[in-house]
Amino acid sequence: MPSTDQTIPKLSKELCNRLLVDLERAKRPVLYATKCSLDNAIYSHKNGFLTPGSKKVATELNVSSVKKMSRAVFMLEILLRNIDTGAVNTKRELYYISKGEIKHNSSLRPLDFGDQDESDEIIDFICEMLECYREELNCYANDRGGQTYSQQLVVTETLPDGDKAVVDLSKLGTTPFQPKNRPQNLKLSARKKIDFCLIVESEGTANTLVANGFTKRHASILMGAQGVPSNAVRGWCKLIQDQLAVPLYFFGDLDAYTMQNIFRTLKAGSAASLIRNSDYSAPDVRFLGVLPEDIKKYDLNDYPVKENDAQEVRALKKAQDALKNDPFFHDKKNKGLTAILNWLLENKRRCEQQAFFTVDPRDPTMPEKIIVEKIKQGRFI
Amino acid sequence: MAKQASNKITTSSTAEYFSKNLQQVGFSSQTKAILTTLKEAIDNALDACEEDGILPEVGVLIEKMGPGSLKNSDQIKIRVEDNGPGIDPDDVPKVFGEYLASSKFGRGRCSRGQQGIGISAATTWAQLTSATGARVITKTKTMRKAVACIVEVDIRHNKGVVKERETIDWNRPHGTTVEFLVDGRVQLNGEAGILNYLSGTALVNPHLTLHYKVPELEPHRIERVTQQMPEIPEAVEPHPHTMKLGEFIAHSHLFGRVKVNQWLKKGFSRIHEGVLSDLVKSGMSKGLLEKSVDSLGEVQFKDLFIALQNLKLMAPSTKSVLSIGEDGFAKSIKRLGAVDFFSVVSRKPAICDFKPVQVEVAVARLEDKSIESESAVQILRFANRVPLQFDKASCAIVHAIESVNWRSYGLVQPKNSIPQGPYIIAVSVVSPFIKFKNASKETVDGSEELVEEIRRALIQAGQKLSKHIRREVKANELEEKIRHIEQFCPILVEGLCRITEASAARKKKAEDGLVKILGRDAHITKQELDKAHAVLEAQKELIEENAEMKVGV
Repeated sequence: MPSTDQTIPKLSKELCNRLLVDLERAKRPVLYATKCSLDNAIYSHKNGFLTPGSKKVATELNVSSVKKMSRAVFMLEILLRNIDTGAVNTKRELYYISKGEIKHNSSLRPLDFGDQDESDEIIDFICEMLECYREELNCYANDRGGQTYSQQLVVTETLPDGDKAVVDLSKLGTTPFQPKNRPQNLKLSARKKIDFCLIVESEGTANTLVANGFTKRHASILMGAQGVPSNAVRGWCKLIQDQLAVPLYFFGDLDAYTMQNIFRTLKAGSAASLIRNSDYSAPDVRFLGVLPEDIKKYDLNDYPVKENDAQEVRALKKAQDALKNDPFFHDKKNKGLTAILNWLLENKRRCEQQAFFTVDPRDPTMPEKIIVEKIKQGRFI
Repeated sequence: MAKQASNKITTSSTAEYFSKNLQQVGFSSQTKAILTTLKEAIDNALDACEEDGILPEVGVLIEKMGPGSLKNSDQIKIRVEDNGPGIDPDDVPKVFGEYLASSKFGRGRCSRGQQGIGISAATTWAQLTSATGARVITKTKTMRKAVACIVEVDIRHNKGVVKERETIDWNRPHGTTVEFLVDGRVQLNGEAGILNYLSGTALVNPHLTLHYKVPELEPHRIERVTQQMPEIPEAVEPHPHTMKLGEFIAHSHLFGRVKVNQWLKKGFSRIHEGVLSDLVKSGMSKGLLEKSVDSLGEVQFKDLFIALQNLKLMAPSTKSVLSIGEDGFAKSIKRLGAVDFFSVVSRKPAICDFKPVQVEVAVARLEDKSIESESAVQILRFANRVPLQFDKASCAIVHAIESVNWRSYGLVQPKNSIPQGPYIIAVSVVSPFIKFKNASKETVDGSEELVEEIRRALIQAGQKLSKHIRREVKANELEEKIRHIEQFCPILVEGLCRITEASAARKKKAEDGLVKILGRDAHITKQELDKAHAVLEAQKELIEENAEMKVGV
């Protein structure tokens, strides 16, 4: 795993040199990339996240792959230049940068990308070969999700020029702190002891909780995940876990999609990002609910999975596959989560996080009360 | 009761029936009326030439004369002239003006016309819409002058009436010209268009020279591609297993006073002494076989018919079917336009539902790629060498085409549908007893056996065609690979050298190495291409050898 700023250029040069040596000997070069899929994912409770197995995807240079390799070398050159100058770009911008390069050099025209999917695929291919994540190539996604509120948290950011910026979240009012896609440059500290961190699936519900005074009443960090957690959210949770050592709880819907696409990704990473799960997963995060028993206890409104809703049916199908093939759900330590998936498959019902508002519709703080009660009573998995 | 008594039951002549039901025989719309008239005249011309062993030369003129009497119609002149044997002047009114007067009815031959309805229906249509019959000029080789006349149908009595008869000088040794003035609309293009009909007729008649002049287009001539007349097979008697009881009894009336056993032996195929003794063994009275046919009652006919149906008889002979032949078909398909390649399959005659049938298929890829790749292939259907242009969806030929997996031969095909792309699939079904779905002979009614037979022919043609497609794919691959090598080798090496800051010498060495590596790939493809080419050549040689053997025989 690359760690220093010079690792990527060094690895890239070594790789290119190996290719060149093979070509000089008229030997067919072969590139190996980590296979990023569930059948090459390993999970152990000790690590707490999905790690890559030994499977590699070999790309041999031949007439069919020469175009892909040429494009990879072309894109790598652009990325190395960015690393050298400290410039950063999104995938979309890199697509246009490559178009611009080709525009100014007609001999490169055969490499031209038809659409962004083609250039994205090449960037991912480079990441898999170098076993790095794209943020290490100065390629950042749009910062999405992770809006964070706290009266205790202080964030210190080391800027590229070495300066330090200190952000005291208690001074931001109702404005949230937005974590970056590469939160490794941040240092966290607490003005006072923080009791827990709550990650809420719905950003709207997170805002509501803050507006109703959650962070004033509880020494906590409250974060809106905004659906499937982005790299920023995942890295940010990992940072909170490692640097503050506070318990983390996830509060979201009770359905198959939330369990395996949102919560599992947050806790253990994903199969597509096997090579970066170590930095982008927070294994200590616990599932606070909604739990199946909460439906009965609080008489929550739940409803059956709609047979004609393709997305919901697909999620159930994926849940079945996950029980069969996902090493995360095979681990004994996660049997509580596996039981929830089984319950969902068996009962074919779902319950949304906002259902807590039905308990006492006239008390806007009722969901907060239930959440805190659940934490205190240890009713989470 | 009194009212009932006044409602007399009347009978009408065949001509009266058809004149009121012309839609049943192809005159159901104005465009169809023009096409049917043309088709009937050409069918008659070709049948007449073939009967007399004359290589047909047919001329067609279609001309707009002005507005027609029907709403939104034109008055159209349709003239068809042939170099056939000519018609005996006494037969002219029967041929053009009398329904069911046919020299071909029930003969067990693969002629285009069968019942003698079509051309009389065309005369009736002309009479009904333009108040004039068919203008005919004909001359046989024994006549010094030609006879010109107008034939009308006497609808009440189903008789042809000759008017304005005269003898004229005609600069031809023999032949017939028939001209109709009818109301209708000319549709030139499309599946049901006249041009499609004319090119289809030329395709399945390689021995035909056809010249035509149609509205809005210059005169066009399609030369014959073979001097060989199709071998007209001997007619066969009907097979008892292909008949219904009514047909069986009607068939006996053709024989008058002959003994039953004589009638069975002479009037049917596959009945001989052995079959007669089997009949007796199965319980049929020997005395009945000795009786005269005209003395049999309905019950006896029925017993005899059932006994015959229960006997195991040999399938009918396949000698009665007529073949276009792979050679002629192959030459003819090039007349449809420029083709990249094609495959032709002429199946051996087979028995389907106890009827002899021969299926021939040609599949061609057109050079003209302007046809949308997503549009369905052009299908040409033929029954007894007559193009079928309507009601495609319910035709046995189309069902067979849809049932073949064309994807395995390199064509694009949505599931269970007609394949797509710039191809023509021509299917000809020839049988003396072809079964149509309607009297206007637009659609072949297919049993499972017939569909399977057509399907087999299509599969064979598809397999042959796929060899061409495979070769083409290989050639494209080779071209693509060579292009790839030329394009990407320098770019890849330059990129690698820039990143590694390699010297010019290393760059040159790496470039040479890469060309070597990729050249090996191209070489393998070249070998595959040569192999595909060899397979194709072997196939061609086999076809040529077969053709030579046939000529030798």
